[in-house]
Amino acid sequence: MQDFEVAIIGAGIVGACIFSELTRKGVKTVLLEAGSDVSNGSTKANSGLVHAGYDPEPNTLKARFNIRGNQLYPAMCARLKVDILQCGTLVVANENGREGLNTLYERGLINGVQGMRIIERDELHEMEPNLADNIDIALFAPTGAVVSPYLTCIALCEEGVVNGGTVKVNFKVDKINKNNDIYEIFAQNESVTAKYVVNCAGVGANEINALVGAPQVPLSYVKGAYLLLDKSQQGFVHHPIFPLPTKLGKGVLATPTLHGNIMFGPNAIPCEPHDTTVSAENIAEIKEKVELSVKKPNYKKVIKLFAGVRVVSGNDFVIEKQDNENFYYTAGICSPGLTAAPAIAEYVVEKMHENGLEFKPHKFVARKPYTCTEKMSKKDLKELIKTKPSFGKIICRCEKISEGEILEALNSPLKPVDVDAIKRRVRPTMGRCQGGFCLPKVIKVISSYTGIPPENVCLNGAGSEIILDDKNTK
Amino acid sequence: MKKTDVLIIGGGPCGLASAIGASSQGAKVTVLERANRLGGILNQCIHNGFGLHIFNEELTGPEYAHRWEERVAQCENVDINTGAFCEELNLLKNGSFYVCASSEKGLLEYEAKSVVLALGCREKPAGSILLGGSRPAGVFTAGCAQRLINIDGKKVGKRVVILGSGDIGLIMARRLICEGAEVVGIYEIMPQSGGLVRNITQCVKDFNIPLHLSTTVTRVVGQKRVEGVYVAPVNERLQPILELEKFVPCDTLLLSVGLIPENEIASDLGLEWNNVTNSFTVDEYYQTTQKGVFCAGNVLHVNDMVDNVSNEGESAGKNAGLFALKGLDTQNKIEITHDEHIKYTAPKYVYNTGNGTVKISFRVDKNYKRTLISAISGGQEISKRPAPAVTAGEMQTLIIDKSKIVNDLHLQITVLD
Repeated sequence: MQDFEVAIIGAGIVGACIFSELTRKGVKTVLLEAGSDVSNGSTKANSGLVHAGYDPEPNTLKARFNIRGNQLYPAMCARLKVDILQCGTLVVANENGREGLNTLYERGLINGVQGMRIIERDELHEMEPNLADNIDIALFAPTGAVVSPYLTCIALCEEGVVNGGTVKVNFKVDKINKNNDIYEIFAQNESVTAKYVVNCAGVGANEINALVGAPQVPLSYVKGAYLLLDKSQQGFVHHPIFPLPTKLGKGVLATPTLHGNIMFGPNAIPCEPHDTTVSAENIAEIKEKVELSVKKPNYKKVIKLFAGVRVVSGNDFVIEKQDNENFYYTAGICSPGLTAAPAIAEYVVEKMHENGLEFKPHKFVARKPYTCTEKMSKKDLKELIKTKPSFGKIICRCEKISEGEILEALNSPLKPVDVDAIKRRVRPTMGRCQGGFCLPKVIKVISSYTGIPPENVCLNGAGSEIILDDKNTK
Repeated sequence: MKKTDVLIIGGGPCGLASAIGASSQGAKVTVLERANRLGGILNQCIHNGFGLHIFNEELTGPEYAHRWEERVAQCENVDINTGAFCEELNLLKNGSFYVCASSEKGLLEYEAKSVVLALGCREKPAGSILLGGSRPAGVFTAGCAQRLINIDGKKVGKRVVILGSGDIGLIMARRLICEGAEVVGIYEIMPQSGGLVRNITQCVKDFNIPLHLSTTVTRVVGQKRVEGVYVAPVNERLQPILELEKFVPCDTLLLSVGLIPENEIASDLGLEWNNVTNSFTVDEYYQTTQKGVFCAGNVLHVNDMVDNVSNEGESAGKNAGLFALKGLDTQNKIEITHDEHIKYTAPKYVYNTGNGTVKISFRVDKNYKRTLISAISGGQEISKRPAPAVTAGEMQTLIIDKSKIVNDLHLQITVLD
């Protein structure tokens, strides 16, 4: 049993932001994650957008934290040494949508979005030559940006660890006791104690609330599927391109990703809490809807389908403290949750401070970013290979990832061991062959570094062994 | 920066033969191979059937590669670099090419007078065929499973469904059975298999594996590991008939759904492109529309037999050597046209230089029982060949006497029944 000041349950983007915020304030914090890696739920499967803030209704938590989160992101990314593509976002429409765009514009002004403007047809089609012909106007919001949601979350967790925090994966909370103002939080084989508990369990928020008798939040679950296209399509669009939003959400967008792919999605289908399957109907719907905004998408260049689950509670986020208890809970953090997370963290940590949580002087330790050989100058790469030859040995040909980069990920603060966990950090198996060539090599590198036999190397958590040998067959 | 005459990217069957071809012309040759040994994908193809045309015997993949390695070892002025991953190919102002490769020894930089693309091809992943459902462990491309089994000595599953009946899928069906797995069935969306007739006989029929034509996998089921797949027959527009969808329990899904030439390294050179082959067009020298850049083997078009790949590679290498040392005669360029039964031709261009022969390779759109393949120039039939049992899965060829070409060249297939 280990003792902590604060325990955060759930290592998605919200939990990770709170973890980072607390550890940087010298608070002894543990981040508990049921999955085999951080960033393994809704955080890994969304559009990766830092929204400008014209969407949420004024005077909601969504509006407040969207605007604040958007302001925090550039500095946060700089601090974490992760990339952010500050390209701005476009909401596009035909002439009939002018009124709708004006409404968004007005709402953006009320919410405090800076720099927005309506762009007319000629300028718009020059900015984005692949827009559908009938698109006439757009709302351009220069403060919208693109990030890698999972890498940002991972970086936050790593930063927390190098600043004294603890991350426990495969820690599925199943019981919480409270004695003398101390919570004891149990998983299958172990427990931790903490004076404060923050529930950031996302899809599992109500299960955790139930363990301490906190109120059940009315939650619904909405699946969004995506099509990810090969990097050869880079430049198909230069900004995230949204249709006019509807009651169901921001609609199907076409967006560049941080790494140079193009992505279409998400749709919005009510679903079971953990259902991330993609159906033929989902694919057809995304195709139909994205073609309202852009023309001739090249679906032959799709390399991956995926889906994520949004957790929705009415029209706003739920960020509450259980009455008379040091138990805080966040729920229904759907879009713009990724944007809002750092602001939510700021808010929750401040509330805890008001309720007695002490901050301690702390000397900040910067997170070490992953080496990316592809982005290095030839001169620097030559020097690096001279001292560390493994950075010259390419394992993943599509994304040009060297063995050195994979070894660095394996040795990173959270000590990931799954193939997908390595993929989310340094991208092997993420490219156009999707691991067809490099999967066996990645398994070997993981196995020889960690000592885990190849038969036990998993794709994404226990039970997802890739090699199905006599040794691990059920 | 090292200087070389011919730089060959890839040390598989095409690259090895290219090296021999280029060396035969007296050129200084450099081969860059990303793996730690030569031979490319042949190293994991431990079944036999390679080399029937070139060596008149049935070799395994590694044996076939070894024969060529021995041949290369006899050549002069061939510098082989393994563990060298080519990252950059640019045209320099002086008309030469800059090539940079990553290796544990550092960055290898070259200035080459000509370049042969011999990078082979890759398999289509699940996403590229928009295969839905969940994304558990246990979905492999057939070649990936082949590597795990044949190189790493690891089993990939116990109860396997194979989607697609390309040659690797058929070979792997037999391989899995030999390794003790159960192959529940092979599902092919088309009305015919895309594989060689001999593979359908030797790998599928001889092992009593059910081959379901006009049927596809509609979605994958399983949270952590594959628990099964849904399959459904397709209509004439290749759309699944969902009322007939049924569940097939399995722990592994192998995909053999097509190969794509791996030619991204040259994508910035502005070479003429063919949407059918997903690669560049070439002339009779296997030269792309960029002078000095040659392209052959599976990076040009996906071949059915490695013997073809070697022949193309040797020819491309020879021409790349000639280009580097003397130059090639490229006067009177003629575009080869063809009818609707033919999907494409390689080469796409010939030169009316009046002597020698040229071999045209092509694929047809579907299976035919009895046909006549012919070439027309100046309104006259200048070459013909009766072709019984023409299949979509097999490469067809026609040899043409260049002295008979006037100023056009048209290939056609007459369907006899």
